[in-house]
Amino acid sequence: METTVKTTHHAEAAAAFLRDEENVDWHNETLWFVRSKRDKAANTLPEWEDLREQASRIKNHSLSRLDDYLLELEKNAQQNGITVHWASDADEHNRIVLDIMRQHNATQVVKSKSMLTEECHLNPYLIKHGIDVIDTDLGERIVQLRNEPPSHIVLPAIHLKKKHIGDLFHQHLGTDAGATDPQYLTEAARIHLRQKFLLADVAITGVNFAVAETGGFVVCTNEGNADLGAHLAKVHIACMGIEKVIPKGEHLGVFLRLLARSATGQTTTTYTSHFRRPAPGQTMHLVLVDNGRTRQLASPDFRNSLKCIRCGACMNTCPVYRRSGGHSYHTAIAGPIGSILAPNIDMKQYADLPFASTLCGSCTNVCPVKIDIHQQLYKWRQVLGEAGAIEPTKKAGMTGMDVLFSRPGLYRFAGRAGRRLMKLFPSLANNGKLNPWAIHRDMPEPPAQSFRDWYAEQEKK
Amino acid sequence: MSRERILSAIRQGKPDLQPLPEVIGFPSNIADADLADTFLAMVKTNGGIGVRVSSLDEVLAQITSEYDLTLPTLSHVAGLDLNNFTPTENLRLLDDLNLVVLEGQVAVAENAAIWFDEATLGIRALPFITLNVVAIVSERHLVGTMHEVYKRVDLNTSFGTFIAGPSKTADIEQSLVIGAHGSKTMTVFLLP
Repeated sequence: METTVKTTHHAEAAAAFLRDEENVDWHNETLWFVRSKRDKAANTLPEWEDLREQASRIKNHSLSRLDDYLLELEKNAQQNGITVHWASDADEHNRIVLDIMRQHNATQVVKSKSMLTEECHLNPYLIKHGIDVIDTDLGERIVQLRNEPPSHIVLPAIHLKKKHIGDLFHQHLGTDAGATDPQYLTEAARIHLRQKFLLADVAITGVNFAVAETGGFVVCTNEGNADLGAHLAKVHIACMGIEKVIPKGEHLGVFLRLLARSATGQTTTTYTSHFRRPAPGQTMHLVLVDNGRTRQLASPDFRNSLKCIRCGACMNTCPVYRRSGGHSYHTAIAGPIGSILAPNIDMKQYADLPFASTLCGSCTNVCPVKIDIHQQLYKWRQVLGEAGAIEPTKKAGMTGMDVLFSRPGLYRFAGRAGRRLMKLFPSLANNGKLNPWAIHRDMPEPPAQSFRDWYAEQEKK
Repeated sequence: MSRERILSAIRQGKPDLQPLPEVIGFPSNIADADLADTFLAMVKTNGGIGVRVSSLDEVLAQITSEYDLTLPTLSHVAGLDLNNFTPTENLRLLDDLNLVVLEGQVAVAENAAIWFDEATLGIRALPFITLNVVAIVSERHLVGTMHEVYKRVDLNTSFGTFIAGPSKTADIEQSLVIGAHGSKTMTVFLLP
């Protein structure tokens, strides 16, 4: 799979997405439906808000002792026969994984969902080196066959309709032309991927939580693909960002009660597997990846983003994500959380993302671990502004507004002139080419007088 | 070395110590008397079949009528002698399995999660690769929440898993399909 990293601007990509209004409506409704399922699940637990607070505090604590917990995790994991690796960045992560493949003469790899491996662009790297990587999560397999990145961290193919998948499977899996029944298509994928599981040399999984106390890690799926990969292959490689470590087993209870409910409204994923030692005859590896996380940790403004448990609730609720689609963010993790993580990885490439927001704060409201997402979006804008990463037109607009709003006389003149213009030449004001505000809106009727003038009149009476 | 670099960067940048919450977890909202019904309802919500029985004989009778026991079957439950399949070192042959019968050690009412550890499974792939799963759970080992279950399970096990139903996916236009890569069906028998 080729993951093309474009320097697209979210606004441009979103504009293209928005041209298909019917599709946007459908995409929007579908994601809002997932949000509403989350609400239903959350409302069944009277302790929901307290659960969020507990989870937030556990994560805050973990980050404040991150070095200790990583060392404890490493020590216990090694004692249990797991080989632990440390990777400073994406490239090193990819090299470590390839090295393990080479050691075992592996060429067939199955991979369950891991946003970290997406972030590191592992697939194209392995393919370049002659390794056949099959993504086994159904949604991920679908986008892999389509040669595109996932558009959502939990629902990778949410942007596709069953017709697209039907055509795709007809082309690649030999299903009937025109068939779109999800059950039929899923069965075809099951048969196709079962063969991959049975023949894989190496299984790569992500890590939902790593437990310092036990040296083990937890992987959650509904499909069973992580387990089928890991238990049938001779080698299991688990890849995780360093922020995924939590102190104790009992903390899993808190996070697991929040994770599935926040993601899809389920009370749990079907499978929640706890790996502690390799199976007899098997080799197990754990790769701990930094890739900018230590830099994020050092920032008081942005370190809270490391609490993320990758549930996707922020995406489901975000009005901008729902109407622009994950691909508009041109990064592995899209939506609100992606927009505060990506600029840390590459500020120039992702400078547009913190602006892809109305700062409505809905994301912060649903985040199970209480990340102050919308506040970080705002803070990133300040950082980007100071770094000169804001585009000239926006900068000019902001400077213009600064001039206008700090000169009351000029402001009043502009208001009077604007009202007169709108009255005399309404078509000009409504011209989208001259007035970007009018692209999707009709300008209102200009009032006869400004509020200031009206108020002054009332004072006289 | 990356390890040293990462640890050093963490030490330099991490925030001041924030304390852990004093209490972890919350009391269950499910009354003891409702545990069994809640559990069985959640099994159904998750796409499984939940059956209340009074004895292992009942379980045996129901399994015998529901499944074709001439197909490859493995049972790790004492009293349910249904084995007609001998696993070998070649794990790929497990693909033929039609039915695996396992005893869950403890189960959670709020989400129907059932815990199986290494000792129970023997071979880790069993409950995932088989077409159908039957789980035997005792009411005595039913708890309300995930907080409670983590007090009961032994996380020192080399491998353990919570299984809450048959495999599923909604990746195709959000249409729920039961039976993705793991088992297509799961029946849970709840014994006293």
